[in-house]
Amino acid sequence: MSLRTPLVFNILAECGTTKARASKMILPHREIDTPVFMPVGTQGTLKGLLTEQLDNLGLQIMLANTYHLGIKPGVEVLKKAGGLHKFMNWNGALLTDSGGFQMVSLLKLAEITEQGVKFGSLNENKSEIVLTPEHSIEIQNAIGADIIMQLDDVVKTTSLDYIRIEEAMYRTTRWLDRCLQAHKRSNDQNIFPIVQGTLNRELRTTSAKAHMDRDVRGFAIGGLSGGESKDDFWKMVHLSTDILPKDKPRYLMGVGFAVDLVVCSALGVDMYDCVFPTRTARFGCALVMKGQLNLKQKVYKTDLNPIDKDCDCSTCKTYTRAYLHHIATIHTISCHLLTVHNVAFQLRLMKNIHESIKENKFVKFVENFMANLHPDKDYPSWVVDALETVGIELK
Amino acid sequence: MTVYKGTIAEFVGMKECISCLTVQDPADYTLPGHHIQDCIPLWTRHGKVMINAKSYMTLVDLFKPDMYYLLSDGDTNIASPAKRIKKAVQNTIKYHNECVDIHKNLNGVKNSFVMGAIAGGYDLNARKQCIEGVCQKDFVGGYLIDGLHNNGPEVELLQIGEISPVVEFVVNHIEPTKLRSIHGCWNPVVVLKLVQLGIDLFDTSYCYIVTERSCALTFVTDIDDKEEMFELNLRQPHFAEDFTPILTGCTCLTCSKYSRAYIHHLVTVQELLGPVLLTIHNVHHYMTFFNNIRKCIGNGTLNLLEEKVTKQFCTSENVVDSEKDVLLTDGHTESTELIENDTYRNNENSSVPISS
Repeated sequence: MSLRTPLVFNILAECGTTKARASKMILPHREIDTPVFMPVGTQGTLKGLLTEQLDNLGLQIMLANTYHLGIKPGVEVLKKAGGLHKFMNWNGALLTDSGGFQMVSLLKLAEITEQGVKFGSLNENKSEIVLTPEHSIEIQNAIGADIIMQLDDVVKTTSLDYIRIEEAMYRTTRWLDRCLQAHKRSNDQNIFPIVQGTLNRELRTTSAKAHMDRDVRGFAIGGLSGGESKDDFWKMVHLSTDILPKDKPRYLMGVGFAVDLVVCSALGVDMYDCVFPTRTARFGCALVMKGQLNLKQKVYKTDLNPIDKDCDCSTCKTYTRAYLHHIATIHTISCHLLTVHNVAFQLRLMKNIHESIKENKFVKFVENFMANLHPDKDYPSWVVDALETVGIELK
Repeated sequence: MTVYKGTIAEFVGMKECISCLTVQDPADYTLPGHHIQDCIPLWTRHGKVMINAKSYMTLVDLFKPDMYYLLSDGDTNIASPAKRIKKAVQNTIKYHNECVDIHKNLNGVKNSFVMGAIAGGYDLNARKQCIEGVCQKDFVGGYLIDGLHNNGPEVELLQIGEISPVVEFVVNHIEPTKLRSIHGCWNPVVVLKLVQLGIDLFDTSYCYIVTERSCALTFVTDIDDKEEMFELNLRQPHFAEDFTPILTGCTCLTCSKYSRAYIHHLVTVQELLGPVLLTIHNVHHYMTFFNNIRKCIGNGTLNLLEEKVTKQFCTSENVVDSEKDVLLTDGHTESTELIENDTYRNNENSSVPISS
């Protein structure tokens, strides 16, 4: 265990116009350039890729899921393995969620009380489990990720039940204190609190301020990207980054579309995660700066170009769209090849964002990105509004 | 491939490898029957495609493989009736001569190494007839002993005693300077016996079949190797806390970086990386096996290796389920389907995205 603090956040450059910043976040396992996108390796593996491939892609940090890892391989095996890094042979940084999100995704099976979340069994082989803040932290301590998340009380973002939203917001803060209390590895693991309050400005403000009173090294913005309108979404991000302290990283959970990453970076977000790039790969889709290509479509049958001639991933260097069309969603190798490309795409986008902020060219970068995506300049109104708030006028 | 000007090896991203085009996939069960005049059926994901000498050679010309087999009718097995065997031989001789004639006029395969096929099931007279029909012209560089089985996992259960009369007969009746090949996922014990009978070329379908059942190859590949299990089934619960590599001393990427416990985790939660790591080890192990076979032939110790592998196979409990139908009888269709369904289910589950 190192004696220095397990998270150092150095802001290298701030955009002169927007709230964007380029930073270096120093974690126990790796230094991270932010803004950063973290691909999701739910069960201790990133969808078929070897960790050697992840290193070659330049991946610095990935996410793993506490709920899944707590069931299999389980705390005992993880402890005996010496943590998830050793178990999965990954020397980069890791972040684990708390299992709280599965409250929403598996809601029919979950029952929430002040004590914690009770999940019904997923099948007859698995017994029901109760996830308390203490238990979540125990699993996350066994996993040993560089950044771990508090257990939060998650309400569906589109819920209109004020009483329930308010209850969840305050309970999230009570659970934060229990998580901090239960945390046994504060020397080499960082707990991030999660700002809740769905789409309610007052509740979200209260939540952020309460969490800022705690001794933590970074903050997550939760409860968004759950089916709400984009107009509601960006306003809540904007509000949250206005309140949260500038000198600590801000992690926006569940966001991964290229447009969202560009806009939210302009709003001052530093970290993102989403299953989208790896999930869409399994459906035969490849990400490009203009959107995505569905390689199952017939037009690619005789297309001898790579997915993206500007991409230097191994898939684009080796394979044609015609070959990928031939195997898309049929052979597992296609999932593998498209995952490599899609992860490379996300990393390249984030690198461009990071570099352009450092070179004081971020505004130009955003304008070019949007113009490339919408050659007819028919920009979505939420993008125009959000960027206007931080001083970028799309013409 | 009509618009693509390169070779099949380049198209699939393996241009540094020698490519060899086979008519059927040795790893997949080939459905018997469905022949029509002058055509054999290929079972693709778009269903049945009938192929004749002309359409086959058009494909070969487009693929430009380094080596390829002339079209043959290999749809026979140990239970085939005389009528089917006779037809297979007639077809194979006919396709052979047609393909040879077409080959001479093609550009894409001018430099390819060409191999013929000897059909005829388990009937030595039929084999003789086929050899006489295809070996008159000194055109091909080697021969495939075809028609021993219908490919797929069942091949592993065939015993050397069942196939050796045919193999010996064919080897003795074709020119000794020609390359001899046999396809299919033979058990390593049978591979060694086939090598002793004079077979030169095999394929890696065995590695695929073993990976599909979540197993790792650990059989001895060298006369100095310590005897372990013949293979490990990584699904077994006792591997959950086993942090050693699949095979101590193995230099493959999987064994140098990943543990049995991790692979056990991956295969039990049906993650794609499980078969990826198993494939890396199994192919590496199989390649090591063949390296050592060549070494043993060189220094005259092949018999020792064969004895050692056979002994290990016979004493190991962890080998293929002996309850399964040993021969290609009526049971085979069902068991192949089971394996296919299982593969499908794995893919299905590993693509269920649950996370935040």
